[in-house]
Amino acid sequence: MAILQRKERVSDEIPTASMADIAFLLLIFFLTTTVFNEEKGLPIVLPEAEQEEVDVSAKNLIFFLVQPDGSVVVRRGESEQEQVVASSQIEDLLRAELAANENLIAAIKTNPQAAYRHMIAVLDEVKLAGAERISLQMLEE
Amino acid sequence: MAKRGGFNRKSSASEEIPSSSMADIAFLLLIFFMVSTVFRKEREVPIDWAQAEATEKIDEKRKNILHLWVDEEGQVFINDQLVPHESIAGVVRPIYADNRQLVVAIRGDRDVPYSQINSITEQLKQAGAVRVTFATRIEQRVQRARR
Repeated sequence: MAILQRKERVSDEIPTASMADIAFLLLIFFLTTTVFNEEKGLPIVLPEAEQEEVDVSAKNLIFFLVQPDGSVVVRRGESEQEQVVASSQIEDLLRAELAANENLIAAIKTNPQAAYRHMIAVLDEVKLAGAERISLQMLEE
Repeated sequence: MAKRGGFNRKSSASEEIPSSSMADIAFLLLIFFMVSTVFRKEREVPIDWAQAEATEKIDEKRKNILHLWVDEEGQVFINDQLVPHESIAGVVRPIYADNRQLVVAIRGDRDVPYSQINSITEQLKQAGAVRVTFATRIEQRVQRARR
């Protein structure tokens, strides 16, 4: 670009040197306000409301009765025998039962005074054991 | 390399690392954050989260999830409003009617008595919103063994 006459030495372009600064400032704003979606939990599908009682053969049922102190009474549908276990033993127990009978339904009945975390602990164990048929109910007194 | 008798003119190329692409990088990062930022739409209720090892990521679009907070005393908050237990079905039914893919995330405090949770699930069954998630934090296996 041959300069024939020496006019002003001031450039006629808008200085874009601060563009990077503005970009960084906006970046820092978004960095500090971004929260990533943290939806996690134990999914379950509740039964529909007006369902008639489904006839389930007793041998396909295993009950986990959650007591107020967090201990669990296991009752197998057919034998009526009860067994008190700690919640951490449920996974192995249920895994063995499921290996024997894959149509087994795990019914978790929780005492109304039991804390939510006890039900979650049992539901956690039941899910870890790989059960797909789970029923959640409240234990009637 | 003894050209010119060892006297070499200093190269006229600049020795600095070109930082002209810094603005480009900044803009690219900016665009990433602008696209991924979602502003929070509801107030968080302070609760003591329950923990479970089987916690899984709920793969559902943000707009299909309804958060139902239950604090220690059993009070239920939906969309920042305190809802008495009997009215939960009334509040959830129109939301479910609008969006059949609705998933209700029950964010309950770990010490809530189960009777409260049960009344909530009964209300949800009445409203027809049967896809439910019990929101939990992930728990490591070692912590679980010590439970």
